[in-house]
Amino acid sequence: MTVTSQIDFEEAKSEIGAIAAKSGALVGGVAAADAFMAAPEGRRPSDILPHARSVFVIGGAQPRAGDWQSPNYQHMEVTSTSDRMQTLALKIARTIEDRFSYYAVCVPPGVDQGQQPFMSIAMAADLAGCGSRSLAGPVLHPEYGFMYFGAIITTMPLPADKRLDTPACPAPECVAMYAAENTTPCFGVCPIGSGGCLGGRLEAGHISDRQYDSARCSTRVQNYWVPGFQKLLGATLQEPDAKKQKMMLFSSMFSRTLWSMTYSNVSQGQCSECMRVCPVGLAHRTKQ
Amino acid sequence: MGFYFIDPQTYEKYKDDILDLSHSVQINFQEQLPTDKRQPGLSDKQIAKKLGLEERAVREIRCVAERDKYPLDEFEEAIRFKENACRNYSVKGMSAVMQKFVEKSKE
Repeated sequence: MTVTSQIDFEEAKSEIGAIAAKSGALVGGVAAADAFMAAPEGRRPSDILPHARSVFVIGGAQPRAGDWQSPNYQHMEVTSTSDRMQTLALKIARTIEDRFSYYAVCVPPGVDQGQQPFMSIAMAADLAGCGSRSLAGPVLHPEYGFMYFGAIITTMPLPADKRLDTPACPAPECVAMYAAENTTPCFGVCPIGSGGCLGGRLEAGHISDRQYDSARCSTRVQNYWVPGFQKLLGATLQEPDAKKQKMMLFSSMFSRTLWSMTYSNVSQGQCSECMRVCPVGLAHRTKQ
Repeated sequence: MGFYFIDPQTYEKYKDDILDLSHSVQINFQEQLPTDKRQPGLSDKQIAKKLGLEERAVREIRCVAERDKYPLDEFEEAIRFKENACRNYSVKGMSAVMQKFVEKSKE
């Protein structure tokens, strides 16, 4: 354990960053805990850890380039690697407490009783300069594109990083596409006006308006998961015909939903189509 | 019954207002948008104050309404959507949507 008065916080940050990188993180950064003013009351770092000073963010565990190439959409559902960042976040929290003697907690990756995140890890990643919010929603790193993030809230006063000077989204290709066709790849694949989730506008190469139907996105991202299960269960319980009810209960939809729930510890992203067509990080998803 | 839930009449009365005020459909939600353009939606606490309800009641109504918004058919449609989009990409790659713009950016 290091005596608090002897800690060089810049060095400590580098040490934590090195542990993160060695353990598989592609990116890391720090957001000041008091920078979360755009977050709703009750969902800021100090609402989880009193006297929080910093949020250390890690990112990585991307799907492999080959995962994106599979013609079977179900493949991406069962190869989720997001939990690796959560495991690493736990390791970093332990390091901060054991090595530097400050409180540290991981931001829980699930949702609270209101079905909302305890704290926005996406906002933390954006504030820590690990990426920027995209039209589609996920935080994108300018070089690597889509990745998973974890966040550790601590009372340790680590030096904060700054947000990216140039957002990763929209990519130059998307700006050109929007100018020519009035749409972008993510809007094109999942248009809010035609049964999809996403809409918006670009102006002068920047996001100027954005619409996102989170309820519809949930039917796709949580297709075979808790929301789908609740719907299926409701419909099946209401079926008065016992033979028909058996068909519903044993159906591929019902069975797959139950399987999906059993092998999911926290959550699964069961739709990746807006990210599949995203050009940010394309070089890292392109192999022979 | 032994757990808290909302009575159906209260749910029907408030569900549309609560969904409209919440984050369920996010229009200009993102934090990086200019302050004058950003519309982050209201928290359950803020909605409760506005409608004169308890926060817990708002939270329950919103959670049920978000699940209620789309019927089971939409979950079946989601499967078809993903099958088509994924297969289309595996055949055409980025050309499925924007290959010419990707190539142009490399020039």
